[in-house]
Amino acid sequence: MNLASPRSVNLQLLIGGIVVAIYALGFGTGYTQRVLSVAGIYALMAIGYQFIFGYAGAIALSQGAFMGLGAYVSGILSVRYGIGFDASLPFSLGLPLLVAFIVAVPVLRLQTHYFALATLIISQIILLIAIQWVDMTGGANGIGGIHPLSLLGWNVPPGQATLILIWSVVALGAAAAWQFGRGSLGQAYALMRVNSVAAASIGIDTARLRLIAFLLSSAYAGLAGAFYVHAIRVISPDVLELPVMVTCLTIAVVGGRTRTAGIVTAAVLIIELPEWFRFMQKYYLIAYGAILLLVVIAAPEGLVEAWQRILTRLRPARVAAPSRIAPIAVSWGHAAGRGDVAESPLLSLTEIRRHFGGVRALDGVSFDVAAGEILGLIGPNGSGKTTLVNIVSGIYRPDAGRVRFGGADITPLSPYEIARLGIARTFQTVALVDAMSALDNVAVARGSGRLSLRQTFSVGIDDAHLARRRGEAMGFLDLMGVADDAARPCGALAYGLRRRVEVARALATEPRLLLLDEPATGLNQSEQEDFARRMAAIVRARCTLLVIEHNIPFLNAFVDRLVCLDYGRVIAQGDVASVQRDARVIEAYLGRGVVP
Amino acid sequence: MITLQLLIDALAIGAAYSLVALGFVLILNATSAVNFSQGDLVMLGGFVAVALAAYLPVPGIVLLPLVLVIMAGLGLVFSAVAYFPLRRRPPEAVFISTIAVGIILQNGANAVFGPEPQAAPALLGSGEVELGGLSIGRQSLAVIATAIVLILALRWLLGGTQFGRRLRATAQDPDMAAAVGIPVSAMIAITFALATALAGAAGALLAHNFFVTPTDGTNYILKAYIAVTIGGWGSIPGAVAGAGLIAIFEVIYPALPILVPALGRVDWSGIAFSQTTSTIVLDAIILLILLVRPQGLFGEAVRQRP
Repeated sequence: MNLASPRSVNLQLLIGGIVVAIYALGFGTGYTQRVLSVAGIYALMAIGYQFIFGYAGAIALSQGAFMGLGAYVSGILSVRYGIGFDASLPFSLGLPLLVAFIVAVPVLRLQTHYFALATLIISQIILLIAIQWVDMTGGANGIGGIHPLSLLGWNVPPGQATLILIWSVVALGAAAAWQFGRGSLGQAYALMRVNSVAAASIGIDTARLRLIAFLLSSAYAGLAGAFYVHAIRVISPDVLELPVMVTCLTIAVVGGRTRTAGIVTAAVLIIELPEWFRFMQKYYLIAYGAILLLVVIAAPEGLVEAWQRILTRLRPARVAAPSRIAPIAVSWGHAAGRGDVAESPLLSLTEIRRHFGGVRALDGVSFDVAAGEILGLIGPNGSGKTTLVNIVSGIYRPDAGRVRFGGADITPLSPYEIARLGIARTFQTVALVDAMSALDNVAVARGSGRLSLRQTFSVGIDDAHLARRRGEAMGFLDLMGVADDAARPCGALAYGLRRRVEVARALATEPRLLLLDEPATGLNQSEQEDFARRMAAIVRARCTLLVIEHNIPFLNAFVDRLVCLDYGRVIAQGDVASVQRDARVIEAYLGRGVVP
Repeated sequence: MITLQLLIDALAIGAAYSLVALGFVLILNATSAVNFSQGDLVMLGGFVAVALAAYLPVPGIVLLPLVLVIMAGLGLVFSAVAYFPLRRRPPEAVFISTIAVGIILQNGANAVFGPEPQAAPALLGSGEVELGGLSIGRQSLAVIATAIVLILALRWLLGGTQFGRRLRATAQDPDMAAAVGIPVSAMIAITFALATALAGAAGALLAHNFFVTPTDGTNYILKAYIAVTIGGWGSIPGAVAGAGLIAIFEVIYPALPILVPALGRVDWSGIAFSQTTSTIVLDAIILLILLVRPQGLFGEAVRQRP
């Protein structure tokens, strides 16, 4: 995704890892091995945390509590019921998963600040229960005498064997997280993180993605907790208190939100840190705070990414010009014989009303869009055009009225469901992932409805799905005339090109109806003409188009019909010439008393 | 009778919580960022009062202006360290930087003052006053009076002065405020100073009856957060109302077995009305509120632009 090749840094990390491993296994004392085992446990917890915090972009403050919950379950089963580490895993993973699932319903749809609060409250409840339920948990004193790690009847001795076992699991967990992030699913999360409305507009079920991330996080935390309690062999409410969560957050931020290798490195550094800051005694947490603050300010993408950036600047990687990906043609819409010409009208709006506070943004709007038509929606600022597009695409619900699409009532559907039915859109302010290439920004729209964990983990090293999606995306970039810029990150593209990439992404969902919200804004005269020409050619052959615009000359070039809104009502509709001559339209734009 | 006494206690706690929540809302409105260290700033205010009292053996009411000034100064430092370097980044960055500041404060206080609870001097002296047959703690009355004065002063500052209008304009739309010539950065820095001073006042007021320990912050940030959630995200009167509701719940719920003797006779009343259970019940209620009304009890005063 990045232009700089990350390979060099990964090699350095690998070498560093091997050095630490040789030192720990060959020369390390039992104490060193114990500290590194704990580092591995924190690494596992923080790798899990990157699903919800890194990929889904939500500040969850419950990861420490989920780890503590796993630890308590495993510890209690061990001491009170004599169930070993491995046999108790279904429960030590299961309970955090279950709690996460139950709280996900009320909590996951909350906005960032409420989500953080809600997860903090859940953590506090779990902590208080652990303190209060003395008979089961040992209360504030906790429980000791927990059996050491055991695996399939083998009692894993402390020291080397435990260290190797824990780090093997870390390696597996890290590999799974890496696989999670590198393909189409990771791209979908990247878009959702930047703009969840845009993600939904290409058919990504953002609620489901969030749930998956939250559940995966809790499962990793539960697993880490089970290891923790059997490695430390005592459990007390300390594990549920805020410092554990803070350590996890620090590791995730220092390592880089979605850089698994960075997180593993950060876990070792952060857990080893107190050993280096011995002279600070137990106040090493001050150092955690200072490091967290410094990294957030100076290297928000994490230390590994920052290191990579510095290296790239010192010694620019000679990246071979990316081999141009061959476009895979996608035949869709009328061209594929799946047109909508028969079922006219394609979109039908009846008496749509929507108010914001005292403002009636839409006040009973009704009109139809015929299949295969190119319709221009005009109207002065504040006339309700964008609100209307937001209602058709499901972002707002109307207070009254119906939206029918292809004969079916889509009013109650959520944005991603509407997108999957075949309505695509662009936004007034371009909503792309700046860090991702233009190609991947379009590829993410291919098959966004079929994202699943099973698919993510069954593609293997060579991701054929992603390769095909990129090929198809290339075809759509080609249609919009931006294929030459496919490999460049969107953040580096000029405004006009970004607009085209966004349209290409909308087209890549193979829409039956395309909604463009002020596509000509910010384009110069020749860009506008080129855009109009392309849209006419692309759309005419394949789908229906509703385009919002102020710019009448731009619209004249390619629309069949105009609808004009003013103060939330349709004041005129018909062919371009007659709407332009309409007295009310002229009045709406120019004011009363202007004689044409 | 006992109900009235409890209500006065609740009012005292609620008054202090209001100051915490107000500071939280001021920063929230000015920067649309959550200040997660607001609770630790309360704790810091408590320790500042404790430290000052060691050098100046005067009543708390004399120390309070000093605490306010010192904390306001620290608020400026706080904004320079944790907010201004991140102002062009998403609000999550500030959220994390304030968590970091909270960690530093908490462990710094632990290093300097130790983990033992310490008490700040009473505002006007401890003991009780007899008032119409009620015996009421002097400190409670003084806390209520002080908080009311501070809240009214804040109200006047925000609502009655040109400075307050500029501050509110900055909170509503920083770009627009800058466009009409308001020094936005200075306004934000002053907001941090005000918010930190309010937190400090709350800390100094609470640290007599309830003591102060370095780990108190988590508790107070939760209270502020919950108060602001109940009262409507970004609403200033809402924050005060939310803080009051929390305080009433906290005082009344554990006292239910005394207020309703029938409950006291049930054999599980010890555990059901313990301080811990009270917190769990409050937490559960907040989760329910978020479930039923994700926008808070009274709606959001600050609306996110899509």
